Amino acid sequence: MHSNQYTLIFTSVLTIILASLLSVAAGSLNQIQKLNVEIDSKKNILSSLGFKESDDEKWTSNEILELFNSNIESYVLDKNGNQTEINIKSIDPEDDYDNMPIYINKTENGINGYAIPISGKGLWSTLYGYFAIEPDGMTAKGITFYAHKETPGLGGEVDKSWFQNNFVGKRFIDDKGNLVGIKVVKGKADVNSDYEVDGISGATITSKGLETFLVDDLRKYEPFFKKIRNANG
Amino acid sequence: MALLDKKSKEALTDPLMANNPISLQVLGICSALAVTVQLNTAVVMTLAVVSVLSISNTVISILRTMIPGKVRIIVQLSVIASLVILTDQVLQAFMYDISKQLSVFVALIITNCIVMGRAEAFAMQNSPGKSFLDGLGNGLGYGGILISVAFFRELLGNGSIYGYQVIPNSLYEMGYQNMGLMVLSPGAFIILGLIVWLHRIASGIKED
Repeated sequence: MHSNQYTLIFTSVLTIILASLLSVAAGSLNQIQKLNVEIDSKKNILSSLGFKESDDEKWTSNEILELFNSNIESYVLDKNGNQTEINIKSIDPEDDYDNMPIYINKTENGINGYAIPISGKGLWSTLYGYFAIEPDGMTAKGITFYAHKETPGLGGEVDKSWFQNNFVGKRFIDDKGNLVGIKVVKGKADVNSDYEVDGISGATITSKGLETFLVDDLRKYEPFFKKIRNANG
Repeated sequence: MALLDKKSKEALTDPLMANNPISLQVLGICSALAVTVQLNTAVVMTLAVVSVLSISNTVISILRTMIPGKVRIIVQLSVIASLVILTDQVLQAFMYDISKQLSVFVALIITNCIVMGRAEAFAMQNSPGKSFLDGLGNGLGYGGILISVAFFRELLGNGSIYGYQVIPNSLYEMGYQNMGLMVLSPGAFIILGLIVWLHRIASGIKED
């Protein structure tokens, strides 16, 4: 039987050893982990804007960074839709409602599309993704999700291409210029409708959640896109 | 096997079939249900559990004479928890996509009864070498079941094996459909139940 003193010393020493081991590991891996998160979000921005990697040939981290740096410009908008000087890395879109990040795909021939972060509640979890908009400011260019904990096979289908591809070319602004969002309908969408996409069977709450937070997020950016639509005539 | 004496060999091979932690002892079911939708995640989870289990068994066995009896469970838990956090950090740094899919289940290895169970039941009484083999054997026994469950779930639920489509498109055109049940937890229960049943018939074990 060990004495109380021994027990105390043993546990203290063990705790110190384990704690230092973990802090060294966390400290040394931190940079790589942060880079992974950054690359993942850049990959999703690219993919929402229509840059798709093929299944046979996955992009490497460097290719993603290169593609992003040469095609995408990012800056922060204030709540009136004006460009600010704030560095995009210094804001947290989840807490900061007045400063909104936007990613713009610029080419030699002008602007090719805009991507905005979207997030909101599904059934079990918060979904995070990007929504891309055509240069006309009223048509969807693409949608991606990079983090969620919805049921695989049901709500989890939001990250499958069959679902995401439905959004391409849909409109979220009606003919009068009002923001209406994109409806995720139960079952099959009306093929003639520009404003609806097929829902996911068995995942009504995820679908409705997505519909709601998509329109909420678009509303925040509405001052900016309104200007674009006005400029386009 | 001249390399190992009989008892060491038993420590390694027993948990693979005759005393499998999942199908015979029914431990570690939670993660077996959660990460077996695809083979990919099941394989990485197996690697994670094998490394945590064999290292924790070895470390605890080395410390076994030093660990005060009164606090042995909490000491085992600290060792296991540290190893699990370490594994999770490594996965996040080097296998980011898979660590996203495994999400919380890597962290939950801490509560996997197999890890604690082997530390308490084996590593506290046996030499580090034997404990390492016991950890390895139990990890692989766990992984074997995980991978078999994942094989059937991915094949029936997605029509693929390890991400490669094996059910030809022509079959889908003829009206074949993936079995949606298989990607949900009840599908894992059914497959796991069948495996446990078959295993018990094969090994002739009866519950009293």
